[in-house]
Parts: sequence; C-alpha cells; structure tokens
Amino acid sequence: MIREGSIHIPFTYAAGRAASRFLVVLRDEGRILGSPCPACRRVLCPARSFCPRCGEETGEPVVVDPAGTVVSFTETAAGVFGLVRPDGADTAMLHRLLPAGAKWTIGARVRARLLPERTGSITDIEGFEPLEATEDHA
Amino acid sequence: MNVDLHGSIGVAGVGQSGPSAADPRSIPEMVLDAVERALGDAVVRWVDIDAVVTASVDLFDGLTASNVAVTEVIGAVMKPETRIAADGLCAAIHAACQLRAGACRTVLVVAHGKASMAPRAAIEAWAVDPIFLQPLGVNFSTIAGLEARLLCDRDPEAVERWGHVVARRRADAAPHGVAAAVAPEDVLAAPVLASPLTQAMEAPPADAAYAVVLRADGDGLPVRWVAAGHDLEAHAPGDRPLSSRPGLRRAFDRACRSAALAPDAPFGLLEPSCRYPHEEDLLRQVLGAACKSAAISPGGGLYAGDAPCAAGLGRLVDAARRLRDEPRLGRALVHGAWGPAGQGQAVAILEAAP
Ligand SMILES: [Zn+2]
Repeated sequence: MIREGSIHIPFTYAAGRAASRFLVVLRDEGRILGSPCPACRRVLCPARSFCPRCGEETGEPVVVDPAGTVVSFTETAAGVFGLVRPDGADTAMLHRLLPAGAKWTIGARVRARLLPERTGSITDIEGFEPLEATEDHA
Repeated sequence: MNVDLHGSIGVAGVGQSGPSAADPRSIPEMVLDAVERALGDAVVRWVDIDAVVTASVDLFDGLTASNVAVTEVIGAVMKPETRIAADGLCAAIHAACQLRAGACRTVLVVAHGKASMAPRAAIEAWAVDPIFLQPLGVNFSTIAGLEARLLCDRDPEAVERWGHVVARRRADAAPHGVAAAVAPEDVLAAPVLASPLTQAMEAPPADAAYAVVLRADGDGLPVRWVAAGHDLEAHAPGDRPLSSRPGLRRAFDRACRSAALAPDAPFGLLEPSCRYPHEEDLLRQVLGAACKSAAISPGGGLYAGDAPCAAGLGRLVDAARRLRDEPRLGRALVHGAWGPAGQGQAVAILEAAP
C-alpha cells in the first residue's frame, strides 16, 4: 500500500544584512551590489556578509556594473540559465539569459534587464540579455 | 576493549537492498534487508556491533529527521548512533574515525535513499540558496549543465565521448540496474536535460539501502580500508571554478597523505559517484596518472540506480566486492559526492589483502 501525502509548510527566509541591502538597492535604485572581501580583495556578487573562501566579514557594499560577461550557460526546459560575472565583480551570478532562443556563447557580453515594478527579489532582475540588444533600445 | 590504534581497518561485510525503480517496501524494511545481508556477510550478530553510523537527508525521505525511522532496524537502540546528513561514504569515514580512535571494534554503516517517493528535481530545487537561487527555479541538473558546458567548450569532442561513456555505463549496469542500455547515438539524441547534458546522460534515480561492517584489526580480512579524505566547496556555483574540482583534489590529497601514498600511486579500480559523464572527466583531471590503468565502475556505477545520499556507500559496497573477487586489482578509490555541482566530495582508499 502507498499513502500519498504532500508537505505544505509556509516558510520565511531571512535574507540577512548584506543580502537584504542587495535586494533593497535592487528594488529602489535598480543597482546591483557586491561585497568586497578585505582579505582576498575579491568583490563578491551578489552581496553577502562574509567571504566563503576567507571567512572574513566583508566591507561596505559597492555598486557593480549591470553589464557583464557570460561565464557559462545551459539550456533547460525552464529556459536558459547562465553564470554572469558583472563588470567590477570577481564572482558570477546565476540567472536567466534572455531571450531563450538566442545563440549563446561563453564570453558573450550581457546586461541585466530589470523589471519596471520591483518587489525586492532576485527576480527583480528579469535576466541578462545581449549587450547589443540593450544598446539598440537605447 | 583493547584496540591497536595503528592497526588496520577491514571491510568485514557488505550488503545491499536494491537498487530498484520503486521499492514497495518501507524504508525500515529496505534498510533491515541490507543490514541483515551485511551482518551475514561479516558473520557477526547485532550484539557484536559496537556503534552505528547512518547517512540520510530528510527532505528526500519526506520526514523530519527521517533517520529516527531506522534506529531500530539498524540495531542501534541503546548503542551509540551517529547520523550524518551527507553522502553515505561520509558515514563510513566517520565509522573509520571511531575505529581509529579506539572507541569501538566493530561499526555498522548504513545509508538509504528512496528516490521514488518524490520528484528528485523538485527536492533539489529546495536544496539551493533560498534568496538568490530558489526563486529562479534552478536545481542540481541546471548547475551540472553549467559545469559540463565549460568542459565541452574547451574540448569539442567531449560531448560525443560522453555519449560513449554513458552507453558503456548503462550497458554494464543494465543486467542488475533500474534502466535499460542505450546506444551512444541515442544518449546524444535524447531530450535535453541541461545542455550540453541530455536526459539519458543523467544516472537514473533509484531506491536502495546499503550496509557495511567495518572492523578494527582488519589484517585477516580480504579488503582493508586504508585511508579517506573529504572536503566542501563554496555553495554558490558562481563563487567557484566549475571546470575543475579543487574540493575533490583536496580530499584526494588528504587521503593520499594519510596513507603515505604518492599522488600518482596507481589504482586498479575506481568506483566514482558520477551522476553525469562530465564528472568522470573532472575526476580524471584530479587523479591524473593514478587512474591511467584503472577499471572504472565495472558494474555501471550510478547508472545502475542513483539512490540519493546512499550512492557513495553503494560505491564502497561494489568496490569491496570487486576487490574480494579480483584481488589483483590491488587498490581501489571509492568516491562520494553531494550537493550542487559536487559541493561535497569524499574519497576512501581500499586495498585487497596481499
Ligand atoms: Zn576573501
């Protein structure tokens, strides 16, 4: 015999100090924050309160560029995902690459596309799209 | 109890239940089956077991602290039981530490995974960072695709080679595994999972339980546990190099140092926990000359059935059996992995008695 069940438990996840600041600045100013590590000198993006490599508390967050470079990408049934290293950051963000049908390459230049109405979530960034596309719009 | 702290540790017995695509038994029944087989193989009784180490992750079992369900069937009532929330090979490493410390003479190691209970991708979507990754809907296979892309970008022949590797593993696994053999061209032509990986390239999820009896003073036993190492990478996939496995390198170096082995000392057998073919490339990168003449997963490895959190202990069971049957293989490397893109890495070195 099999008993069918499912788990529905509402959760709240505290983003914490650094990630909250990242999400608030993304929502209110449309900018992307990274955190500098005083020990390894890397700028970690998205912002976080400590460096996972050094264990050091990070310094005052810095604004990184919305433009960046595709480090890797993968096509899935749920869309295309990529690792994008924003200019001014030393680590990459995992996010959507737009549009899904585009031909992607490692090293492609992209820029974050933000939602006009933002709520303070990583999905306030709709995804990263080819830099040429954003220049055409401009 | 009088235990020689520098004496050898032996693999006294192994047992398994599964893999099967959907085991109708309960988790305790599956575990009991594996434990009874391991105790029988080691020719010991429950009373001879000094301590038990189990590995499981409750999200996969749909039950909070799900290891409470197996305490009785592993004979751990009124005994020291340690519960590891990582791959089963880590449970074996913990058991070996207890033996080395002289705390016990005989330790039972148990791991179970029942993938048929819930969709694996949905569970793994809950195992990534809740602020930056969960809202995107990514899971472990997405991150594996990012990893594989980096490897095939610098090696244009990689994808075709992976097709052949998977076909070989699936063929070796088919007689006792949960999935049929697939021809190389069909591996490549299968629907995309996370490009460049196809659905056929992913080891099939399965239900299985594994049990291993490790014993101090293992000199008289046909298979000895020589050394082990483990390591963790950063969680965020964008924080670490995905085209190499430095965590595996550190784990392997620790094991070699502990065994006083040169890093290029040859292995006759590798039993890796590779759910995707590109992970074998990453393992070979780390092992280099040490794996040149090694047999790799003669039974198909995880392609026989990938039971979450139990797979690494399953590799230990397979490696110990193989060394018993073919002592000429000499030395085996057993590998366990857990988390996105192999965030956790564990290795153990076994040797056939001379
Ligand atoms: Zn640092």
